[in-house]
Amino acid sequence: MNELTRRGFLKYSGALGAALATGGLSTIARADDVLKIGVVYVSPIAEIGWTKQHSLGVEAIKSEFGDKAKLTVIDNIFMPQDAERVFRELASAGNQLIFGTSFSHGTPMQKVAPRFPKIAFEHCSGIVHLANLGTFEAKYYEGTFVAGAAGGYMSKSGKIGFIGGFPIPDIVGPANALLLGAQSVNPNATCNAIFLNSWFDPGKEKEAAKTLLSQGCDVICSMTDTATGVQVAGEGGAWSIGYASDMSKFSSGKQLTSFVLDWTSDYVGAAKAVAAGTWKPEVRWDGLAAGVVKMAPYNDGIPADVKAKLKQLEADIGSGKVHPYAGELKDQDGNVKVAAGSVLSDDGIRGMNWFVKGMIGKLS
Amino acid sequence: MHPRLELRNISKRYPGVVANDDVSLSIQPGEIHAVLGENGAGKSTLMKIIYGAAHADSGEIYCDGNLILAHNPAMSRALGIEMVYQHFALFESVSVVENIALSASSAFNLPSLAEKIRELSLRYGMPIDPHRQVHDLSVGERQRVEIVRCLLQAPKLLILDEPTSVLTPQAVVKLFDTLRQLAAEGCSIVYISHKLDEVQELCDTATVLRNGKVTGTARPKETTSLELARMMVGSKLPEMHVSPAAPSEKPVLEVRDLSAKARDHFGVDLKDVSFNVHGGEIVGLAGVSGNGQAELIALLSGERRHGQGDAIKINGTPAASLRPDERRKLGLAFVPEERLGRGAVPSHTLWENAVLTAHRFGTVRKGLVDRRRAAAFASGIIDRFKVKANGPAATAQSLSGGNLQKYIVGREIALAPKLLLVSQPTWGVDVGASAFIRQTIVDLSRAGTAVFVVSEELDELFEICDRLLVICQGRVSPPLLRTSTDREEIGLLMTGRTMGKDQTGSSSVALQD
Amino acid sequence: MRIAAPVLASVLTLIVGSIFFASLGHDPLPTLYAFFVEPLSSMNGLSEWLLKASPLILIACGLAIGFRANVWNIGAEGQFIMGAVAASGVGLFWSDPDSALLLPLMFLAGMAAGMAWAAIPAFLRSRMNTNEILVTLMMTYIATLFLSYLVHGPWRDPAGFNYPQTALLPAAAMFQSFDPAYRLNSSIFITVVAVFLMWLFTDRSFLGYKMSVSGAAPLAARYAGFRESAAVWIGLLAGGAAAGIAGMAEAAGPLGQLSPQVSPGYGFAAIIVAFIGRLNAFGIVLGGLLMSLLFLGGEGVQMTLALPSALTRIFQGILLFFLLAADFFIFYRIRLVRPAPDAHALETAR
Repeated sequence: MNELTRRGFLKYSGALGAALATGGLSTIARADDVLKIGVVYVSPIAEIGWTKQHSLGVEAIKSEFGDKAKLTVIDNIFMPQDAERVFRELASAGNQLIFGTSFSHGTPMQKVAPRFPKIAFEHCSGIVHLANLGTFEAKYYEGTFVAGAAGGYMSKSGKIGFIGGFPIPDIVGPANALLLGAQSVNPNATCNAIFLNSWFDPGKEKEAAKTLLSQGCDVICSMTDTATGVQVAGEGGAWSIGYASDMSKFSSGKQLTSFVLDWTSDYVGAAKAVAAGTWKPEVRWDGLAAGVVKMAPYNDGIPADVKAKLKQLEADIGSGKVHPYAGELKDQDGNVKVAAGSVLSDDGIRGMNWFVKGMIGKLS
Repeated sequence: MHPRLELRNISKRYPGVVANDDVSLSIQPGEIHAVLGENGAGKSTLMKIIYGAAHADSGEIYCDGNLILAHNPAMSRALGIEMVYQHFALFESVSVVENIALSASSAFNLPSLAEKIRELSLRYGMPIDPHRQVHDLSVGERQRVEIVRCLLQAPKLLILDEPTSVLTPQAVVKLFDTLRQLAAEGCSIVYISHKLDEVQELCDTATVLRNGKVTGTARPKETTSLELARMMVGSKLPEMHVSPAAPSEKPVLEVRDLSAKARDHFGVDLKDVSFNVHGGEIVGLAGVSGNGQAELIALLSGERRHGQGDAIKINGTPAASLRPDERRKLGLAFVPEERLGRGAVPSHTLWENAVLTAHRFGTVRKGLVDRRRAAAFASGIIDRFKVKANGPAATAQSLSGGNLQKYIVGREIALAPKLLLVSQPTWGVDVGASAFIRQTIVDLSRAGTAVFVVSEELDELFEICDRLLVICQGRVSPPLLRTSTDREEIGLLMTGRTMGKDQTGSSSVALQD
Repeated sequence: MRIAAPVLASVLTLIVGSIFFASLGHDPLPTLYAFFVEPLSSMNGLSEWLLKASPLILIACGLAIGFRANVWNIGAEGQFIMGAVAASGVGLFWSDPDSALLLPLMFLAGMAAGMAWAAIPAFLRSRMNTNEILVTLMMTYIATLFLSYLVHGPWRDPAGFNYPQTALLPAAAMFQSFDPAYRLNSSIFITVVAVFLMWLFTDRSFLGYKMSVSGAAPLAARYAGFRESAAVWIGLLAGGAAAGIAGMAEAAGPLGQLSPQVSPGYGFAAIIVAFIGRLNAFGIVLGGLLMSLLFLGGEGVQMTLALPSALTRIFQGILLFFLLAADFFIFYRIRLVRPAPDAHALETAR
């Protein structure tokens, strides 16, 4: 019925009238109690992976708010040009809170947010903050440090393999932490790194994983949007480390652990704040302590005492007792980047575009 | 005994054309029967009717004395009539046996089929390995596959449509052996051809068609080529008005020691070709198809260029390395043998096709096509040359072959050329239009244009040319005056027999293709 | 027939689409409405519609000039990227970022870069007879990697946390929006001019005539002495110029900076647009508008009816399939059936 009247209205009022009407919705919508939320995914929801973890956040809002929230989800929006249009549409459609879930959504959100100052924008993995644009991000490196330690304990060859999507700081940093974690238990550990220049390319990822296996790596960590790395490692008899989701069922029982992303607190927190009228743009960057990064259950093949040490390491990182990027840190060429006794600054972490000593591979 | 196949009073007309007119013929078991005729004489239509792929408007077909009522290819196969087409329908990417299996009408078993193929092909002296991939086979071998495919059906009547047009002389000999063996076993063979020597060598009887009618039956082995040719070509052509030539003092076209390698292995190398064409005369080039005519005409028209610029001169200007449009600026016009796709763009309208070569004649101004002028130009040709078309906006492909040829000849003549090259001026053109085109060419030459005509129709050349050249194996004979030579001399030159050095030349005498 | 085909295709699409949506439990009428009407029912929607259609139409116009001559430039994506790169390079590093000349210079740079990128396959085809389909496609990958190198390396925004993107272009390097509330900008006029030029070239010019002869009957082109290499060069350069300009307009419009991904597949989608539009200027405009609407409609039904994007993509596929299939069958009719009626017409005319 609603549809019919709307259509009839459009027919007679024409495009301009419709534009005014939809433009006016955003203020009207505030009057009722239903919170309208828009979410833009970078890919379709799969069984595992980046977008799946975001969808869990969305589900959490649904179960928390029930009828009190109306969620509009647009998936498969990657290109900035398209994203800007979609954010604009979501904003004009009266959503009070809008989530962007990919770095490529950043520039479009920065363009759209100032036009809709009453709407709250939340950008996952963003770097720019505005009066109504907040960001949230996970400390992946805390997860990879623990996972790297697990790898360091379990690796016989001392060679860790790493597959990354793109050589951007968000991936390079965790790769470094993976090796630093391994070196914390085996100072001679090294890490071979390969970048696919794609988040989703199972073919290339398979090749990469096989290459790493042939190079003698017996622990493989893959920071992409597929479980291919974990799967190929398992088929090749190597340990694996999952990312974003628990990938143990793809690993032939060889997943040591996985650093799982749990955005629930970010999603539900932002929604509650907007509903309560207390939302402010924040820069949230959380890890093990806040539960945004969680370690998946450790593999039963890990000895109990090692498991206990890893649990302790999680707690120590959470409490700040251990910092993954504590000095002294040297780069590949042996230059000291972080002096002994100090830790890498937050800006240094978020802009990490260099490999620590022991990494094998190049950043193009 | 009943004939294996008998046709009684078969007639078939297509819009505007009578393809078969009251054709009757009869073929005995074990007989090799030639159907002879020019292009467009109605041979192919007749074969389609025999095979059931086309239906006669009137007339009857009897097989072993039984009237065939509802004819179609399936019926043919049931009656034991098989046909080997001129263009093979084989799948390149699979093996011989798989190809044959694909067309098998009944259930089969691949290994046993392969064994059968091997056995049959050996028995008839044309061995094929059934497991070879078709793309590896030569053209002759592919033809064997087609024939073996027919033989597997144990045919009573085998139709072959111009089977030797793609074969080497050696392969022809082998094919003839096979066909004789088949005939000796009682299989009747219908052999469609226009090559007189082959027919004389192979066939027991011949039915000659012209313009859809039977013009005679003969025992080729007891008949001279000339008699057969006369039956094929006829002699009742309209009278031409050919006044004596008044050749210009200087030649318009000079060809000096032109040699060129063939561009592909189907072509023929040209060797030291030299001749002149003067303004006001028509020089003809006779020869069996595939002896270098295509190469020569492409070199003359500029479609193929030659490194040595003065091998060809137009009005004294070295032209061999010029592009076609540059040669046209020197006064050249050219009517190619292929009308659709070369002389005209099939999907374009007639006015668009006028622009193709008439773009220097006011149809293009300031880089833009002047549609009105182009249409006027096209209308002018249509009127002057009595082209049957729906006006300048008709597409080239909507015209009949003869009308399109008139349009193209008209277009090239409207360019007021100093030199006109014409290749096969009347191929597939009906008798009336042919006479008109020939007369037009003669008139043009008498007005001072130099004309060079390539034709495989000796009659045509004798009718309009002042001097004749003969091409054989890429060599061109010295010029012969029409008034002091005859068909016999030309015919011998065409086979290369009197050209001294070239004893290996093809011996096939074809009057027409 | 030429008009009936797309109408038939549209009707078939609507029928099949309705069955498709109904079978999945979505009321077909509101779904189709949300797909085709709602995206255009606001100023913003209209602005977005034209904004997305503009580069598609522009590129398709350039490509169609080549396609008409059987010159298959399928690397417009790469030429688009190179146009965006060159134009952004000028915009970012020109000594005077406020210069009024900046935008015209970027236009020239984008066009030149697109043409240069297309000139390589043109040279290889005309001189060495390489297959331009393969070369143009390969060149696209090179362009993508080159862009990736620039934004990861020398052109990376110094203030951007090392993320792979350039700084934002200065204001003088951006096309003016008609209204600050909407994204549609003055680059749409470039497309309008391009459509006119394309029509003039293909329908009226002698050069365009020569190209169409080359495409329809290469032997006739050789017979008339039209240079094949000219057709190759013009065909590829026209596509390259159009794609390069489109890349420039994208960088100086909706993007405003370079990142590893500058094209949402416009270079490839434009090939479909060119064929939907039957390589004809007017048809290409309609094809581009339709293609753009399909994108917007796909998002629209996700937004208003929560249809998954996979379903909308299937529906888009159905429509394109019917359109191109209808074209295919029309093409066959022209070839096979036409001669007969014409012959009859002649008979009666006699």
